[in-house]
Amino acid sequence: MKVNVWFCQCGDNIAAKVNREIVEQELTRIPQVACRSVDFLCSEEGKQALALDLAESRPDRVVIAACSPREYEATFRKVLGEAGLNPYYLQMVNIREHVSWVTPEPAAATAKALRLIHAGIARVRHHEPLMVREVDANTDAVVIGAGPAGLKCARTLAEAGRHVVVVEKTPVLGGLPVRYEELFPNMECGACLLEPLLSEVMHGRYAENIELLTISEVVEVTGYQGNFIVKVRRRPRFVDAHACIGCGECIPPCPVSIPNEFDCGLGQRRAISFPFAGALPNAPFIDEGACLRAQGENCSRCVQACPVPSAILLDDHEELLERKAGAIIVATGAALYNTAKLPEFRDARRPGVYTNLEFERILAANGPTNGEFRIPEDGRIPRTVAIIHCVGSLDPEHVPYCSGVCCGAAFKLSHLAATRSPDTRFHHLYKELVLPGKEEFLVYAKVRQNPQITMERYTRIAELVPDAALGSQRIRYFKPDGSAEWLAADMVVLCPAIVPASGLANLAGTLELAMDRFGFLEEYHGRTDSSRSKLQGVYLAGGCQAPADIQRASNQGMAAAGYVLSGLVPGRRLEVDPVRARVDKTRCSGCRICPPVCPYRAITMPADDAGAEVNELLCQGCGTCVAACPAGAIRAAHFTGAQILAEMEALLQ
Amino acid sequence: MTLEQADPAIAARPRFEPRIIGFLCNWCSYAGADKAGSAQLFYPPNVSVIRVMCSGRVEPQFVLGAFRRGADGVLILACHPGDCHYKEGTYRATQRHRMMLRLLRQFGIEEARCRFDYVSAAEGEKFARVLTEMVETVRELGPLGL
Repeated sequence: MKVNVWFCQCGDNIAAKVNREIVEQELTRIPQVACRSVDFLCSEEGKQALALDLAESRPDRVVIAACSPREYEATFRKVLGEAGLNPYYLQMVNIREHVSWVTPEPAAATAKALRLIHAGIARVRHHEPLMVREVDANTDAVVIGAGPAGLKCARTLAEAGRHVVVVEKTPVLGGLPVRYEELFPNMECGACLLEPLLSEVMHGRYAENIELLTISEVVEVTGYQGNFIVKVRRRPRFVDAHACIGCGECIPPCPVSIPNEFDCGLGQRRAISFPFAGALPNAPFIDEGACLRAQGENCSRCVQACPVPSAILLDDHEELLERKAGAIIVATGAALYNTAKLPEFRDARRPGVYTNLEFERILAANGPTNGEFRIPEDGRIPRTVAIIHCVGSLDPEHVPYCSGVCCGAAFKLSHLAATRSPDTRFHHLYKELVLPGKEEFLVYAKVRQNPQITMERYTRIAELVPDAALGSQRIRYFKPDGSAEWLAADMVVLCPAIVPASGLANLAGTLELAMDRFGFLEEYHGRTDSSRSKLQGVYLAGGCQAPADIQRASNQGMAAAGYVLSGLVPGRRLEVDPVRARVDKTRCSGCRICPPVCPYRAITMPADDAGAEVNELLCQGCGTCVAACPAGAIRAAHFTGAQILAEMEALLQ
Repeated sequence: MTLEQADPAIAARPRFEPRIIGFLCNWCSYAGADKAGSAQLFYPPNVSVIRVMCSGRVEPQFVLGAFRRGADGVLILACHPGDCHYKEGTYRATQRHRMMLRLLRQFGIEEARCRFDYVSAAEGEKFARVLTEMVETVRELGPLGL
């Protein structure tokens, strides 16, 4: 077997420490080994010389002693391939990063380089021809979550001709912002801002490319980039959203009244209802648990009131749907930190104490007070309102980070409420004020000039006690100078830290995605690749990755769409790296040790007990199963036991 | 006063140069070694690196095989827990290393001859330090001489 060794001097980088003549002398003593030296093998001239030599001398294997394989292995493999040699007949020996740059003594460096080259020659003799396989890729996508991030992504992909399945847990599209009356910093109406996007997704020119699944959840995902199979549990809506004309005739006859979770439980709704007025899709849903039929009663008052035949489907039932997709975008959004975890807010409860999300609903025209600024439970107009920022935030015991968007939202709330109730005074308490951005500061400027609104810094809230006699709340807090102060308010609004929406850990488990230390999904790179997950073909947008405002969520949704459009191109196939594990079924005893060891669930045991099988598309080539197999039945292509032992033997000679 | 200073005969004796095999995972530790190279951090040449895709690929037979073939020490370097490119390979490698130590004890091989550590792609300095420490430790233990 003829082995050609190329010794790259890398200018002086290698040649200054590793003696070329000694290396050549030593290597040419080995039968069937030829040694060539070059100044810069990675240069165009270097690669041409290599290609020419491969064509002329037709070696069986090639060793390149140069820099790190992490740098140029792919380049030189390509040269081998173009010269008609199998690209995997190459072994790179790292005599720059691992030898010349780290060894002060030239004699020692030369000896070490020779040792490594000998090992490279011994290893490469065992190299096997491997082929990069290509597989077809599905270019469609599944988007999980129908907030601004998910919908921007879905619309963009649909516009490019991709089929998109949007899986939304609730019966309503638009995420959190459609529940807000106005948005900071420009006081736009939340529903109006998203209306064009929602309308495009539902009825626009490319809407036929989008399948909307509401009251649905992703329950199982198998496969890999280009070939995911996503199982979705669609719970019954009992209303055909396409047939329904949205008249709402069905709602008043319904005899059931329950707290409306879409108003944070502040108002009531019927078992058949819209989540809130104007919610899209413009079709009510029946709450499966609340409907009298669930208790065995034979009620059909809603059906009788409905003017459209078969718009209400009382026999609608849960379905397990299967969708194929090349990419998955997670856009499940955010939630508020649970204030029950904070002892100082132990006694904080309604009426009187609300989260900013609840306060948004109190101000919303389609909310529990029809947009009137009142305490929903007793109808009083509060004279004093305390708005507490940084609840649970900037606290190493709870949420160490700053969510970055609550200050702007909090000032928006006092600005809006102050306009509606000129006699009410608002007092903001904050740990830190954060309002970056070219427009965001305007809200703060407005609030600063408003005589109804004051603000003050605090370091810690000691307690919040309801004063039943006065029907108000008393807050004891510490100021930066260490002194304690009491504040009384008719209404308290808490702005808790922003955390991932509930259920994200389950979804992360289903998708096998890593979570960061705060419980968000871990991004590929926090600065430059925050919309990519660490799993190929799975992308992140909005509150599942970090606290996000609408701008950030929309941008990330668009970024995720960009990754899908460039990563999955119709007509282009995906390459499968041949560095994979494979089971020799004649040696497999069927012991079942390997399947749970695989981090990618790539190994299955077929029912016929004919031995383990590795799915080469799911396998990532780590070789953990190979090391675990007690029978030595699994081979790691390009990292076989024979190759590694040959390398080791030569290193120790 | 060291032994070498006390006895000129010992000082004149050639210093024992241990032979050590280092298994490095491709994504973190090998990249960390490259980083030490780029930073031109000097360390002793006694460790010969074998690159594997993941520390989880390192079979116990590789470690035993290295000692049998004359290695005085074996070093396994992996990604930090949670940073593993293959998610769990690091855990498998730590588990196997713990098991290896028990086995080596039974063979009368000192535990210090088989070291496991974490080196990230950014930790060029740690790589150079771990290698230097390992060479010094094994040098003090002397040749394995199975």
